[in-house]
Parts: sequence; C-alpha cells; structure tokens
Amino acid sequence: MARADTLARAKELARPELAYLVRFPAADGMKDMELTWAELARDTKWVTERLRGHGLAAGQRALLTTSGFEGFWGHTVIGALRALRVPYGIAEAMGWDHRRTAVFHRELDPDVVIGLSAETLEGLSGSADIGEMFRSTSVVLARPAAVPVLRGAGVSACLMSAVGPALALECPERCGAHVNAAEWRVGERDGELVIAAGEGRRSRLAETPLGIAGRVETGKCACGSEDPRVLLAEAGPTSSSRS
Amino acid sequence: MVGDRDTGDRYFEPQVETMPREQLRALQEERVLELVEYAYGNSPFYRELWDEHGVHPRDIRSLEDFRARVPFITKDMVRAYRARTGDPFGGLLCVPTEELTSVSSSSGTTGDPEFFAEIWEDAPPLVTAQVRDLWELGLRPGDRVLSPPGTFRNLMDPGYQALGAVVIEVDTWIGKMHEVVEALRTYRPAYIQMMYPQMVELEHLAEKVDLKEAFSSLKGASCAGQPLSRKMRERIRDDWGIDVYEYTSAADTGTAWECREHDGFHLWEDTVFAECIEVEEHGWRDVQESDLGELVATDLDNRAAPLIRYRSEDLVRLSRGRCGCGRTHARMWVAGRRGDETLVQGRSVVLRDIWNAVEDQPETVAGVFQIVRERREVDELRLRVGYDPELTGDVDALAGRLGEAVLERTGVKPVLDMRTEEDLLNTMTSVAKFPRVVKS
Repeated sequence: MARADTLARAKELARPELAYLVRFPAADGMKDMELTWAELARDTKWVTERLRGHGLAAGQRALLTTSGFEGFWGHTVIGALRALRVPYGIAEAMGWDHRRTAVFHRELDPDVVIGLSAETLEGLSGSADIGEMFRSTSVVLARPAAVPVLRGAGVSACLMSAVGPALALECPERCGAHVNAAEWRVGERDGELVIAAGEGRRSRLAETPLGIAGRVETGKCACGSEDPRVLLAEAGPTSSSRS
Repeated sequence: MVGDRDTGDRYFEPQVETMPREQLRALQEERVLELVEYAYGNSPFYRELWDEHGVHPRDIRSLEDFRARVPFITKDMVRAYRARTGDPFGGLLCVPTEELTSVSSSSGTTGDPEFFAEIWEDAPPLVTAQVRDLWELGLRPGDRVLSPPGTFRNLMDPGYQALGAVVIEVDTWIGKMHEVVEALRTYRPAYIQMMYPQMVELEHLAEKVDLKEAFSSLKGASCAGQPLSRKMRERIRDDWGIDVYEYTSAADTGTAWECREHDGFHLWEDTVFAECIEVEEHGWRDVQESDLGELVATDLDNRAAPLIRYRSEDLVRLSRGRCGCGRTHARMWVAGRRGDETLVQGRSVVLRDIWNAVEDQPETVAGVFQIVRERREVDELRLRVGYDPELTGDVDALAGRLGEAVLERTGVKPVLDMRTEEDLLNTMTSVAKFPRVVKS
C-alpha cells in the first residue's frame, strides 16, 4: 500500500548513524549529546524490560503523554510498547491538553499511563478527582512533580524522569527510578545528581552535574535489577524502603 | 534564494507522484472496491449504515457505482454512533483493538476529540504520508530538523528519520522562540515545523533579532493549523528569508502540502479518493473545477478505521490538472470551513473580511482574533482581538479604529473584546489549532 511503499523507498536511502541530537539541561546550562540508532535500540530494549517488569503484556492498553522535544525517550517507550504489543494512545504532556488525556483515559481505559505531568494533573483536577481517576489504573509512571500529587491522592504512582540524556524508570518496588547501568554512570555530589556516559556511548559525556536535587541508591533492588536508582527530591519520599 | 534548489531528484516516488491520471484513477478504483468489501465485512458502523441505505459491496463494481450508491458520512454521525454504542471508535474500527499500534486524535477544540486508530511499522501514518512533501521541500539524509512542538498526531520524528534526518530536541512551543533562535544558530537545521502562534511570537522578536540570519540554514519550514494571511506570508518569505510550506488536513485522511510552486495543496491520491461536491436538498452534485465545494474524502490506505465518503466541511476548490511541479495528483485551495460564516442579523460575515481589517492595524497585524458566538445566526458580531502591547499606546483608540475597519469590510459594527495577543494565544488547547470561532 501507499505508505508502506513510501517507507520501503525510504529504506533505500543512506541513513546516518545518528537518530537524535539530545539537548538536556545541566547545572551550567543546556548540553547536547549524540544518540545513534544502535544506542536507541539498546535503550528501547532496556525500557521494554522495565515495562515488562510492571506486568505489561499483549492485550493491554497504554496512554502516553509526552511533548515533541522528548523523542529521545518517547521513541524508546513507543518502541517498547510496540515490542510488547501494547497499543498506546498519545496526548500532549502540556497542561492545556488535559482534556485529551481525560478523554483517552475515559474511553480507552488504559492499563498503564506513562509520562503524566503535574501540569496535566492540575488541569484535570478542575473537573475530576485525580485519585478516583487513576487509582484503578494498574501502572502509572509519572514525572517527578506529579508523583507526590498522585501518591497524595492514593495512587500508587511510580517515578519516571529524564536524568540528563538518560531515562529513569521506577520499578513496582517504588524505591527509586532505575537508570541503565550498562549505558550510564549516575552519582550524586553535594545532594545533586551527576551523570556520565558509559563506555559504549558514541558521544563522550564526562561527569556532568545536572542541577537535580536527589540521591543515588546502589545495590540490588528487590525487583532483581542491579541498575542504580535515583531518588529525586521533587518526587518526594519513596513509598518503600525495600532494596 | 527562496525556492532556488536543484530539482534533479525532485520526486521521492516519481512513478507514483507523476502517474498519469487514468492510471491513478484505475488504482483508486481498485482500492475503493477492495475497501468497500473490507469495510462492510469489518466495520459495524458501515455495515449498519449501508444496510439502512440498501448498499451491498456486490453492487459496487466501479467508482461510478461507489459514488452513486455509498452514502456520505459526517463527524456527527460517527459521534452519534459512539454515544449510542459506547464504542470509542464510533464503529469505524475494522480490526480488534489489540491489533492497533497506536491511537491519536483530533484536537478536540470543538468537542470530544475523535480517535484515529493507527497500524504501522516504521513510522506513524500521518508523518509517513508527509515524506514525499518533505523530500520536495528539500529534506535529505543527514539534514537536521528541529523537533516539532507537539505529539498531537503521534511522534513525528520517525517520519523525518525515515528520510535520514537527525532530530534535534528543542522545545519549540509558545514562549520558547528565543531558545529556538539560539538552536537555529547553533545547529543549522534544514527544516522546522511551525504553527501559527510561533509565527506571532517570532514577529515580536523580529525587531530585536536578525531572523533572516537565524533562519538562513533552512531549506524550508512548514506551517499548519491555521492559514497564513498574505501579509504574514510575505513577511516570513521576504523579511525572514524562509521558504514556507503551508499544509492542511486532507479531511482527516492525511495532510495536503504545498509543493515548491506554492500553488495549492497536493492531495496524495494514492492515499485518498477526493471529491468536491455541493450537497443539495435532494442529493448532491459535483462542482466545476473552478468552483467551491465541500471536500469529501475516502481513505485508500487505512485498514484500521477508514473514512469512507467523509464530508469534511472544508470548502475547497479542487483541480486535477497537472501542477507546475509535474505532479499529477490533485491540488486544492481552501476557502474556509462550512459553518465558519456568521450571519449577523441576516448579513453574511466571513472570516477573511475580518482578518483583513484586523491585519490592517499595526497593533494587530499578527491577525490574532476570534469570533465569539453560540450559534451561526447572531444579533451582534462579537470579536475577541489580540493586540501587541508594545505597539499599543491607547487600546480604546485602537478599538475605535478597528471597529470602523471591520464595519467597512463587513457592513457590521462589531462588539470588541480587546486582549493582549499573549492572553489570547494562551487560551489555545491544541498545538495544531487556534480556533477562529469559539462559543465563549
């Protein structure tokens, strides 16, 4: 068919190794870093395993709220959902688009909501009871400022956050968001997070302070992962002390 | 120089883009006949509707049969089915939901958004149908593009990346144009997707920033969600040096872009069967190529939830003549939306006349305005107009001038609600649309 033919033709083009140039806020301003297709594939695989750990499987449905400039992690989440054969609805993460989030949630009844922002919750709270809306959703992966709002409303939200050029995803243990140790080195300095690229990344990134208040837990998590976990001040205290 | 590029490899899929009309028609007929069979067998909405109209696929053997027998559908009909049955897809879905890849939606600026069910492999359908247009604009492997403002019809990046472009992650939404200009200077992208409010914001920056220099790396920029006025377009092209490509919706089956000729929006007719008609009291008729009619669209490349003879409410002029670019696919020129016309005590007022009056005032040159009405027929013309506070000394004096200008253009004295442009643009509830007609 037409679109499939277009993409088949596109595959004949010489595609560069790079998929993205990721810009991220660091303590001393915006930085950028290259992201190759090979890295994107590895990142997608990691996200797939993390979402599988939340019980996501074929036959379930997801709602993703994200923005146009978040493709470097949005791409991996979408790739993971596709790998898991979980169809997703998509809405903006910006607060003014909360109505679409509400309609998607009401009509598609997603098993997992990914990327909820505090701005979306603020918009929703004008016409809905946040707790009632999301308590029955099996998995809610929310951005840092949204996590305490959701937990305060009785929703067992898990944290997800960009940590510089990396994505951090909390597991069901909810004791900090995991960062892929095979790709990144995360640490803390004076109560703030730092990140460096792992050996396998094409773009070098020396230890970079991110200006994000938080700390890092190492050691094996109860979920079985040895990936370090970041605990962000903005997301409030973890709901579990297990590790 | 704007538009001055090598045209040696102008077509991405030359055989398709320049296909002779008779071959294109044969292809459409083949797809329509398959579609009718498929939709009847799999969509409860179409089966119910066509049964009511005594239409069965066995009776549809040609495009003529299709046009003569298959009934039109409207957004309201799908909404009614959705309300009656609770099916979020309005009965259009032809596959089990678990077979879907994703669900995007309309902007929902006039009610609950409608869902678009999607099945795809490498890139979502909307942006995939734009690949030919992006190639025409000049995008090539290795070029850089700035990420688009939103994800309203799914993540767009895979479409750009299919062409070998590298996406630079920059927040390009309202209020971030300073950062965008910095990113343009740093990364020298070849393409940027823009929306009307960003243009308004750039207009404010133009006094302080050399936009022509900042945009000089662009092969082109696209703009959608709102037609650009002639003045705005000239400003973007002549003062900022951007070859701007407008695009619009192809009746929710995809998008229709300008080519480098900038003379109408190309519909990709291997993905959509387009009709331009006038619905009358007892039937319908085709309109002449030079006349305005309503765009009716049929999806030819959508096995998830195809629209079939969908009345878009878009008033267009449609031409199937070969374009100066050499493509044979039809072009359309959009005049507005059916229903955007307002009757003020019986007098017809159209958006374009108001727009011209608004643009003629220096303080409101960006053309940020809305008609506020509960119904199409009203007793008074209520306008909400956004002004640039830096250019406006006396808002009352501006309102006086503007009121006279609108009266002169439309014959109606408006009731004006003056706001700053920023206030008005901040009421937007979509990355894609700034609504020109609002209820409150």
